[in-house]
Amino acid sequence: MQNTKRVAAVALAAIMGALSLSACAGAATPQASAGGTSATGPVALRVVSLLPGSEQAAIDAFNAQVKEFESANPGIDIQPEEYEWKATTFAAQLAGGTLPDVFEIPFTDAKTLIENEQIANLDTQFQTLPYAAKFNAAIVDAGKGADGKIYAVPAKNVYGVGLHYNRDLFKKAGLDPNSPPKTWDEVRADAKKIADAVPGVAGYAQMTQSATGGWQLVANTFAHGGRVQTVNSDGTTTSTLANDGTKASLQMLKDMRWSDNSMGANFMFDWSSINQAFAAGKVAMYTSGSDVYTSLVQTNGVKADMYGLTAMPLAGTDAGVLTGGTMVAMPADATDEQKAAAIKWIDFFYLRKLVDKDRAVADAKTLVANKQPVGTPVLPMFNKEQWTENQSWISEYVNVPLNQMTGYTDTMFDLKLVGEPSQQTQEIYKLLDAVVQTVLTKKDANIDELLTKANTQAQALLDQK
Amino acid sequence: MTTTLARPAAPIVPVPLAEAAPETPSLPEAPVGRERGAVSPSEWRRPHVRFGLGLTQVVLLALLVVAGLGPMLLLAKFAVTPTQDILSTPLAVFPNGIEWGNLDQAWNRVHVSQYFLNTIWLAVGSWAVQVIVATTGGYVLSVLRPAYGKVIQWLVLATMFVPAVVLLVPLYLIILHPPLLGHSLINSFWAVWLPSGASAFNVLLVSRFFDSLPKEVFEAARVDGAGNLRLFWSVLLPMSKPILGVVSIFAIISSWKDFLWPLLVLKDPNIQPLSVRLPAIAGTTDLGVFLAALAIATLIPIGLFLAFQNHFLNGAGFSGAVKG
Amino acid sequence: MSIQISTTATAVAAGRPRRRSLAGWAQNGGASTLAFAMPLLLVFGVFSWLPIINSVVMSFQKTNLVKPPTFVGWSNFTYVLSDPLLWTAIQNTAYFAVLALVIGYPVPLIAAVLMSEVRRFRGLFSALAYLPVVVPPVVSVLLWKFFYDASPTGVFNTMLGWIGLGPFPWIQDADWAMPSLVLAATWAGAGGAIIIYLAALTSVPTELYEAAEMDGAGVLRRIWHITLPQLRGVLLITLILQFIATAQVFLEPYLFTGGGPAYATTTVLLLIYNYAFANSLGGNYGAATALSVMLAVVLALFSLLYFRLTRSWSDE
Repeated sequence: MQNTKRVAAVALAAIMGALSLSACAGAATPQASAGGTSATGPVALRVVSLLPGSEQAAIDAFNAQVKEFESANPGIDIQPEEYEWKATTFAAQLAGGTLPDVFEIPFTDAKTLIENEQIANLDTQFQTLPYAAKFNAAIVDAGKGADGKIYAVPAKNVYGVGLHYNRDLFKKAGLDPNSPPKTWDEVRADAKKIADAVPGVAGYAQMTQSATGGWQLVANTFAHGGRVQTVNSDGTTTSTLANDGTKASLQMLKDMRWSDNSMGANFMFDWSSINQAFAAGKVAMYTSGSDVYTSLVQTNGVKADMYGLTAMPLAGTDAGVLTGGTMVAMPADATDEQKAAAIKWIDFFYLRKLVDKDRAVADAKTLVANKQPVGTPVLPMFNKEQWTENQSWISEYVNVPLNQMTGYTDTMFDLKLVGEPSQQTQEIYKLLDAVVQTVLTKKDANIDELLTKANTQAQALLDQK
Repeated sequence: MTTTLARPAAPIVPVPLAEAAPETPSLPEAPVGRERGAVSPSEWRRPHVRFGLGLTQVVLLALLVVAGLGPMLLLAKFAVTPTQDILSTPLAVFPNGIEWGNLDQAWNRVHVSQYFLNTIWLAVGSWAVQVIVATTGGYVLSVLRPAYGKVIQWLVLATMFVPAVVLLVPLYLIILHPPLLGHSLINSFWAVWLPSGASAFNVLLVSRFFDSLPKEVFEAARVDGAGNLRLFWSVLLPMSKPILGVVSIFAIISSWKDFLWPLLVLKDPNIQPLSVRLPAIAGTTDLGVFLAALAIATLIPIGLFLAFQNHFLNGAGFSGAVKG
Repeated sequence: MSIQISTTATAVAAGRPRRRSLAGWAQNGGASTLAFAMPLLLVFGVFSWLPIINSVVMSFQKTNLVKPPTFVGWSNFTYVLSDPLLWTAIQNTAYFAVLALVIGYPVPLIAAVLMSEVRRFRGLFSALAYLPVVVPPVVSVLLWKFFYDASPTGVFNTMLGWIGLGPFPWIQDADWAMPSLVLAATWAGAGGAIIIYLAALTSVPTELYEAAEMDGAGVLRRIWHITLPQLRGVLLITLILQFIATAQVFLEPYLFTGGGPAYATTTVLLLIYNYAFANSLGGNYGAATALSVMLAVVLALFSLLYFRLTRSWSDE
């Protein structure tokens, strides 16, 4: 009888032990809660490194930069994490607390995250940056809360959408790779030539999934002179999806797909899979941010010779180039220690190289040493003069084929820039995904109907706020 | 018809117990060398029947080989074919030679080895949790039978009426904020191990099995002065090997296949299993290497299957007997 | 539907007298029984019973994880019911279920009947049939996704080319995406059903066949009048289980097409997932749980109806 009491005690102890083990295991797993230790130990900072699946050389380059930073800042321990921002996975990561301490978001997301009190106030730390006042006002505004304080810091890849093309496929089809198409009609004609000349290749491809379909459709819309939203003076927003620009874009896609058959046979593309298809030589032309070349090299192993970049053809009055970019933010519960460490990292890794010659050169040297791209065209975060100066600092290290990108770089400051729609951006992009998919996969798709329906849904979303 | 059939977790079906409960503690096995089916041996000797039935069987065999084995053979072939060949002439037989490098790249550069290990860890932990819960639970419900046992049994059975989807969101939030613990279990293997134990099917399977054990053995042990622990450890468990085998196979296979749940709770790439990682790198990995990774991911399940065929097939058939 | 618990030896197995006091209870093995029950109670309690209750509670709340949840009555349900995508999802799920039943139900049965007549090498047949079932679903979906490449050099399109058929769009076409998914899912799952049927088939008493033979029944008549009726129980159960499984299909739509093209493969479960986890700026957990609760209720009602209707047909 004593036996059973003892047994019960042992069993209960075992269960308690198991529970506490789980507590220990939880603490010991890679996901530690808010990283910093006490003031005596180094502050641990989890930061974004590279896209999943990146080349070893890219990873080495990044690690070299981490080393450089850590030796200059012994009180900070940088922990790199692979990261890909995706409209469909970001929220779960934020909710689950699994985002790095310093994570990246697109311009369009910052305001809503600020409203929801999900990202930390970085204003004090931001103002310590010597160049804080020099930012392009519109860009820095995207990260400001209603209180005028900075919550998200502009970080990198301010892009204009451009037309990327495969020079090898152009040559194969008898087109001159140094004269990429300048109008949408030329794009259509070239796409057809390539699709006819090289079987199995898509002359032109378009993203269609995970909100990127809507993103590119909106880019096309801007390029055709349309706009998808109007923010009214009273704070409400009117959705204008059924505009002529969007209609023209969809009509062009429809013609290329069904009349010309120049868009290949596969249509499920998001940002990374279209890059993959392009690098593999299965897609001859597509539109995406002008900064994509870096990723093409780091993740898809693209060869420099085949790559060409030109400006988005613009048609009609009010036509413009969609522009966006990446900001960094921290979770709302970041400690002051972490914020202080973070702003140092942000300065070192993202921003200083744009304004400081020594840093720019050092950064370029590290990248070149690891065969990473230097000089991919991006738009200025400060102003044109700063950008030009920056280019001159790194000009001897530039290893991207800029001469194959002149179609874009020659005009990038002259073309009108249009920011992404600011209200319910990702949700509206997702709606438009379905519209693009329908046009590409249903022969008898009625564009007007689709747009009217989408517009009603978009307006309902906008009215919700 | 989804693969959920192979893992009958939480179906909305009350399993009719008792009838056709096997008297012996062994599994119903397909009689080997059965003398006849619907067709009698004498009919087999008739040329008509022989030819007709034989032909259909040969055709069936051919179809099974093409459908069952074909995709696997193709996968094995692609795993060692250069990417360009896969893209342009997938069904040609190695026009440009064999690319063993795919396997090496998959294992090392894409770190399939790490995800492989993670998958194994997840399977082992889930198996352990499931076995512990099912055996102790079945022991209490079937052998010890406390007064509150009936209540527990009904509560466990009730969960079989609830489709897994209902648990998805609240379970996720519980993992984020577990009761008692101070911090979330996200990115911890425990987030996968612990919930896997809540399988009413396992508990039911084991308690039915325990029900079928001869009571005399327990009585004898009691008379000899065995307490609950001794009874469990030294008497019950050794007799339970068959059912533990079935439970183990189901547990390991279902853990290997698990996708949505690890996708939600294991965000750190370093601890993700193959099922979560492979789709994530599909867009950024060279095709040949990717297919090699897929091939590696299938090795263990197929290997286990080939080695323990009888257990698999009998277990699968047994689950049907349980349900029917 | 009562549970028949074996009535043999209740008190004997436990071997204890009625409890008189707490100490007596503990001394007589009550405490250790409780200890043995702990793993089940804890695991089920925290990871099964609690979430089930929570899900019903949450379906009446608005939760955004940053602030405490607020009670919103039926508004989650009305939101879900008025979502145009819901109707699409229901149609798609029903389409998948029906297709899966039409393709995936008779085929394993026929195969199993044929296989039960095999006298030698039945193990080979069984192994080949079950092989696709052991392949992890993620691998099989990714592999089939590759096979489904719609360009002329895709694997299936190459094979179609051998017999002179043009390249087929497979999952790239809104009309053919769902059937393509069903085909892949059937390939992966048929083996399980085959084995279950086979096990049931081989337990049909041979005397029945002999008797029928003596009465002069041909092979097909024997199968129709003896084999199938003997299988009734298994067939009925498998049918409802398959239906319930296909009603919750998630993996194939998620990995093959992400719900597209143009929502053609968005199923109810994918919709629930999207409500909860796919919004870039925060999930609508209330809507997700409301829809899951509704789905659970529908499936429960369906099962009850099913069992009522088939009670008279079933052996049990």
